[in-house]
Amino acid sequence: MKISGAHKLPLGRDRAFRAMQDPAVLAQCMPGCESLDRTGEDEYAMRMKMALAAVTGQFQGKVRIADSAFPESFRLIVEGSGKVGFMKGDGLVRLTEAAPDSTEVAFDGDVHVGGTIASVGQRLIDGTAKLMIKRFFDKLAAKAAEVE
Amino acid sequence: MIARNFEYSTPSTLAEALALLADGEAKALSGGMSLIPLMKLRLASPDLVVDLSGVPGLNGIVETADGIEIGAMTTHHDVESSALLRSKCPLLAETAAAIGDVQIRNRGTIGGAVAHADPSADYPAALQALEARVKIAGVAGERVVSAADFFVDTFTTALEPGELVTGVIVPAEAEGTGVNYTKMLQPASGFAIVGIAVRVRKDGSLARIGVTGLGAKSYRAEAAEAKLAAGDVDGAAALVADGVEANADIHASAAYRSQMARVYGARAMRAALNRAA
Amino acid sequence: MATTTTTPTKTESLIGKRLRRREDPRLITGNATYVDDIQLPGMHYACIVRSPHAAANVKKVDIQAAAAMPGVVAVFTGEDTKDVGPVPCGASLPGLRVPYHHILAVGRVYFVGHPVAVVVAADKYVARDAAEAVEVEYEELPAVADPEKALAEGAPAVHPEWPDNVSFNFHQEGGDCAAAFAEADVVVKQRITSQRLIPTPMETRGVVADWKTGDRSLIVYSSTQIPHLLRTLVAGMLALPEHKTRVITPEVGGGFGCKLNVYAEEALMGFVSMKTGKPVKWIESRRENYLCTIHGRGHVDYFEIAAKNDGTILGMKLKLIQDLGAYHQLLTPAIPTLSVLMMPGLYRFRNITADIVGVFTNCVPTDAYRGAGRREATHGIERMVDLLAAELKMDPAEIRLKNFIQPEEFPFATATGLTYDSGDYALPLRKALEISDYTGLRAKQVEARAAGRLMGVGMSTYGEICAFGPSPATPAGGWESATVKIEPSGKVTVLTGASPHGQGEETTFAQIAAEELGIDVDDVVVLHGDTAIVQYGIGTFGSRGTAVGGPALYYALQELKAKIKRFGEMMLDSSDVSFAGGVCVCNQTGRSCTLAEVAGAAHRAMKLPPKTEPGMQATYFWEPPNFTFPFGAHIVVTEVDRDTGQIEVTRYVAVDDCGRIINPLIVDGQVHGGVAQGLGQALYEQAVYDDNGQLLSGELTDYAVPKATMMPWVESHHTETPSPVNPLGVKGVGEAGTIGCSPAVVNSVVDALSQLGVRHLDMPLTPEKIWNAIQGGRA
Repeated sequence: MKISGAHKLPLGRDRAFRAMQDPAVLAQCMPGCESLDRTGEDEYAMRMKMALAAVTGQFQGKVRIADSAFPESFRLIVEGSGKVGFMKGDGLVRLTEAAPDSTEVAFDGDVHVGGTIASVGQRLIDGTAKLMIKRFFDKLAAKAAEVE
Repeated sequence: MIARNFEYSTPSTLAEALALLADGEAKALSGGMSLIPLMKLRLASPDLVVDLSGVPGLNGIVETADGIEIGAMTTHHDVESSALLRSKCPLLAETAAAIGDVQIRNRGTIGGAVAHADPSADYPAALQALEARVKIAGVAGERVVSAADFFVDTFTTALEPGELVTGVIVPAEAEGTGVNYTKMLQPASGFAIVGIAVRVRKDGSLARIGVTGLGAKSYRAEAAEAKLAAGDVDGAAALVADGVEANADIHASAAYRSQMARVYGARAMRAALNRAA
Repeated sequence: MATTTTTPTKTESLIGKRLRRREDPRLITGNATYVDDIQLPGMHYACIVRSPHAAANVKKVDIQAAAAMPGVVAVFTGEDTKDVGPVPCGASLPGLRVPYHHILAVGRVYFVGHPVAVVVAADKYVARDAAEAVEVEYEELPAVADPEKALAEGAPAVHPEWPDNVSFNFHQEGGDCAAAFAEADVVVKQRITSQRLIPTPMETRGVVADWKTGDRSLIVYSSTQIPHLLRTLVAGMLALPEHKTRVITPEVGGGFGCKLNVYAEEALMGFVSMKTGKPVKWIESRRENYLCTIHGRGHVDYFEIAAKNDGTILGMKLKLIQDLGAYHQLLTPAIPTLSVLMMPGLYRFRNITADIVGVFTNCVPTDAYRGAGRREATHGIERMVDLLAAELKMDPAEIRLKNFIQPEEFPFATATGLTYDSGDYALPLRKALEISDYTGLRAKQVEARAAGRLMGVGMSTYGEICAFGPSPATPAGGWESATVKIEPSGKVTVLTGASPHGQGEETTFAQIAAEELGIDVDDVVVLHGDTAIVQYGIGTFGSRGTAVGGPALYYALQELKAKIKRFGEMMLDSSDVSFAGGVCVCNQTGRSCTLAEVAGAAHRAMKLPPKTEPGMQATYFWEPPNFTFPFGAHIVVTEVDRDTGQIEVTRYVAVDDCGRIINPLIVDGQVHGGVAQGLGQALYEQAVYDDNGQLLSGELTDYAVPKATMMPWVESHHTETPSPVNPLGVKGVGEAGTIGCSPAVVNSVVDALSQLGVRHLDMPLTPEKIWNAIQGGRA
């Protein structure tokens, strides 16, 4: 499934770029993230608990950042699997300066979902993915505001 | 299709139910139309299920000075067949009649449906159009939230962890109000691909349009309402889907869903106008 | 010895009588026994661990945590079961590539749902929990889920040993297609798909296996259409002697072809019962049903039809791409060959050429589903004939009538090597045109168009090949068997090898037996579905139950009637005795004796007629000399919502000719059910796999089986052209509705949209697809 969109962060582009690659920030902003441990250069192991309505699922996975081109773009590769299925996301994140202290973050990528969640929840995958991304940026924006 | 082990509790008072739900980890069981399948698929695995069927005061439809209050545990069937609602708030009864199938309407409840906040559920369209209020209880006390504020996002509501929906308050319609709920149903599940609820008066004093199924959450199409109040149905229909990022799935693309919101919007508006004085 | 005078009581014929199904009281009152109702002492439960990936190497299966759970008796993986024989493919074609199909994956998985391990526990809840505790480490591999993409250069190889993903190429031709196309005035081409469908019986599959340690024998209870073949094949897989293997088929809650198979789970349950010494039950969940039971259809067909300007069809070409899935199940590669066999349809042209390519994909295998192969053929031909009619601006009824094989041409040898038994193809079409008031419909259509509405009238005239079939043309024998036992009291027990599972033969066979013996239908009981009780039989599929099982019963009854007569002659001391109406009568004296008296005498055996055994039982194995070829015409009227693309079927007229009708009520029920499944394909159903081989329509919430409220009123009518192939004149009707329906519906909707320039639509005709066609015009 293709997924794309854009969100605004109240940060300058350099700072926005750094924040989005800061494991401490990511851990606090990724919805349901329970732990994020560095396993290598730009590579992290992640544990997350997804909760949406009555649906809950534990996922273990990897987050990898590649093709980093500061401060303009990077590739984000996320993989997670749990008892309810697995997901893989691979997308390009592009940052453009909207204003001195505002950055537009656009993403464009593929999400591949498998297992039970794919075969019984197809109508919800699109909406859920969008919601999770929105939650991430909302938190990141709030975090940024806090830091200010 | 076998759920994981869970504890099961049947509290006999609301306070007891709220205490059991307070930590936010337990799930409340109402009609079970969404929770039970999710548990059997192991997509939901609560440690504790709190069955609300033994809690008094959550079931029934009464008229108060404030409007008509429908208890959270009232089934869709009871809503659709309520003489009180049929005469004073027909939009809600009509919407209940459009939900799923007979078995679902016999078991499913309004409180469960509202709290679950499925983006394709039928009730939210009507509740938005009715500017309904949702009654919420928690260990910290009770509060009332407007439908507009209650539905936040996909499966996301204003409920805090541990809180319960205890009822829904809808207005008694003034004489001469025309209403309609029209949905395009997804043939497999019966959920709304789009569902449009309309309330309108011909003198332009009232025009409300609630939309479900199209985006992440139900909403009131306020720009369209202004056109409808002015009697411009086509103009209103053109604005029903405006500014909404439409859902897409194997049954309907985002573009088609948006178009159907416009088509069904026009149909619902015309049907409501036909009934309006 | 009886010497009373008894008047025959029965005069009214039972053949053609609208009797209510005798199966129904138990089915609708909850008294029927399905596999899940079987309770055995010490029953254990199995839960199967399945792959979430469409293609992956299985690096490790860690069963320790699962095996350690209290209540878990055993956990087995592919390493444990790899010596069990492969899941059988019963079909053979030249050069067919058959992947070795282990009952549990060994080293690699090939589709989502591929079984990897099995957990056995004393309690089904524990089994389910333990299955979740089995840790499987996968190394995901690229997958391909679309047959045309699988054929493309560089596509992932489903089976690494065959990188082109081709399982077989099959060519068939008849006549001189090149010449036919050379002399044609017009050639019409179209790509036509028949999407993958998921058979959805109300009762999913289920197996109970009960290994009797002391006897070293195995009982397998399975919801199957073929108990005897299952016994032979499962015994082979488990290296058990066949006589020590018994298959019991209790009530079957729908099969539609998907239970005409031998599945991994049937041998697997036998294996685990043998290993654990416990009776073990496995009941398929709906999710497993959708992921792991065979799917139907899965065609991409490239058709070309050649004709003269006057509408005379000269020839047809077909390139058929069959999505096989990852493996061959019992008949997988044979199904598309049936499409080629039926390519000429009801038409006289004798030049065809067809090429099938069978393609592996990372999906569950396809196999027989109601109308298998013939529905796809009919859909293609009937669409092509409509396309040709549109090209030549001819009426679709007229072009069909022009090209039908004529009644005097039967038996008719087709270009594909078949001999059509009998028919009058114009008969049902003319009847359908008359009932539907076709001329009036066309007039209404003109009015509708003038008013801006999209109204369509479509038809299909189908022919099908049924009564499978002469043994030389079938993989496992095509005969059927019946035993008739007249008990000492004169009551009658029929044992049929056909194993009906919803077709109502407990009623129709009782009608046949009661008719032949001249007794009350309630004095007959029909038993089936237990290999220890019933003589070997083939099973019910391909509309063969009554068309092959019926004649077997008929001939067994003739043997008994001869024997009854011999007893009557002895008992009435006359050589001039006739048996009718359940009574032997001496034509000289008028003295008589009843069937009960005869049966009593035969069992008591105080005295026997010369060269006659005691008892009153006969078994007959009937080998059909040919297939049968039912036919019919369906006319469908539709109205398309211009704004939404939604379709309403406003009229459905079905005229089916299935030869002689034994029970019109049951025949109508078969037509109605068949039409429902045809409408499902035409309008609603599709198995949707994403590019990675994940099944997105994995539950009934996303796979739209038509519900009662979605059904139009089906006006079911018949013509009766008896088949000369069997003494009953029957042809078979189980699949007719499905075969006739989908092309008629699609033709109707294309007709509705033709004014916008639309000439073809592929199924399912979802509102969005139709809406897009309306927006875009020529689709």
